[in-house]
Amino acid sequence: MKETRHDRSPACYQFELELQAFMEGENRPFVAAHTRECTFCSVVVEDLEALRSAALAMPLEEPSPAVWSNISAQLVAEGEFSGRASFWDWFGQLDFLRRPVPVAAFACLFILGCLVTAPRTYLEQNAASGLSASPARTALRSMGFIGDSGALEHVVQELEESFREREGSLAPELKATYENSLNSLDVSIRECSDSLKREPDNSLAHEYLLTAYSQKAEVLSSALEFDEGR
Amino acid sequence: MKAVRRPRGDSTVAGSREQETKRRGITLCGQGLVFYLLVLSGSLVAADGNRSEKFFEATANPRITVTNLTGQILVRGWDKTQVHVVYTVMSPYVELDSEAIPPNGPADKIHFATHVLDPLVAGKDQTADYSLDVPMGSNLEIRNPQGSVRIEKLQGDDTSVESVGGAIFVSDFTGHLFVRSVGGNIDVVRASGRVEAYSITGALHFVSPTTSKLRGSTTSGRIFFEGDFQDGGDYSLSAYSGDMDILCPRSASFELNAKTVRGKLQNEMPMTIRHRPATPLSSANSLFGTHLTGKATVNLKSFSGAIRVRQR
Repeated sequence: MKETRHDRSPACYQFELELQAFMEGENRPFVAAHTRECTFCSVVVEDLEALRSAALAMPLEEPSPAVWSNISAQLVAEGEFSGRASFWDWFGQLDFLRRPVPVAAFACLFILGCLVTAPRTYLEQNAASGLSASPARTALRSMGFIGDSGALEHVVQELEESFREREGSLAPELKATYENSLNSLDVSIRECSDSLKREPDNSLAHEYLLTAYSQKAEVLSSALEFDEGR
Repeated sequence: MKAVRRPRGDSTVAGSREQETKRRGITLCGQGLVFYLLVLSGSLVAADGNRSEKFFEATANPRITVTNLTGQILVRGWDKTQVHVVYTVMSPYVELDSEAIPPNGPADKIHFATHVLDPLVAGKDQTADYSLDVPMGSNLEIRNPQGSVRIEKLQGDDTSVESVGGAIFVSDFTGHLFVRSVGGNIDVVRASGRVEAYSITGALHFVSPTTSKLRGSTTSGRIFFEGDFQDGGDYSLSAYSGDMDILCPRSASFELNAKTVRGKLQNEMPMTIRHRPATPLSSANSLFGTHLTGKATVNLKSFSGAIRVRQR
């Protein structure tokens, strides 16, 4: 995933100013008109619409405290303490139009998080009701709408590319910590994959593979967020 | 060869020279000492100049957030409805913001955030150390990517602590605790309520917990649990390649479900083995049984790390 350069016209700045209200449902003819003229801004709107549609289509899951704490920490880092800001205010604070890579990374992680947490909840319910289930297989089956585990790998790969582009700006100690963790997770992904080649039905190996991908996405996202917050 | 005796006058001159040299030496030492003391006191004054202290009136259960970059954060619960913060910054390029909400009267929320004023500043110059005394019922949200966090004696509903490379230590905590450090070790001592601890390369230590629900996961770090399992409690620990040691008293009553793909599984507790539907895991690498009446539920799993369950 590469950040593209875009020469912004004054109209683009006006678009930015009105985008928030537009996304909140207000009548902003300028935004609609500008998206017809400017490819870059039209892609921004399309992406936001796609994100919103995807979010609406997802089942309502209570995000983990980590998600809330990340969002909250980001708000604090941005100087927004009141907690009264709307969702689009928060997006505006992230200044995402100028730095779309971390936002894309966060979006990938969000989708990934929903994918991973949804089947777990389902499994826990099954376990509680005494039903036997293969956690990994159920989890992987539930990811059918994005294809197979290759899609998950692809998401992680994109995050990693973004990380590699930006890792130079991280403090050496921090970079070392992230590198160690990513190496550790890469080893686990490799070992689990090898194990699954030998024993395709090994549910625990499936589960660890899924967890390793999920954790890798979290670590990468954390690194990208951190880089962004500096 | 004849010994040549020095004239008396020369001896007097040499003696006075020696005395002069001694005097100069003493004077130099004295001057050095004075200079050293001046430098030392100057350093102390300078250090004290970077140390600040504030008090906030707060409710009994305020929400307190601390966002820092690097340095130590220490939070202790006390029985006052006040928040007392002492912070020290290591360079003039770092400043701390604090905000109480509402600004007047007892605060429901208090936010502390460290800002690095110069983006070119790196290393120790970014450091800010915090020491906070907070009401026992406080809810905390702490983010300290490159620094350590220590929390003592809190009874809040909800506390989360996150770091990237720093160690996290929590003791005598009641409530919901969420801790995560990508590479740092996590120690949780005498916690009750619900605990979640996650790391990738760091180790997890749980000592004398009275938690009803415990979740712990690390990839390559070790896991050490030492204590009893609460009746009805739910404990789930997972390591990938790190070893896991569980030490519990003989009186502990729990149902154990332990499994590992490649690691060794050692159990020293007398168990009533229960059978589960066949799984692809060989029986040597999984164990499902109860000790005593099996009041608590304990799930342990690893990929290649050893799992050892031993009697304390």
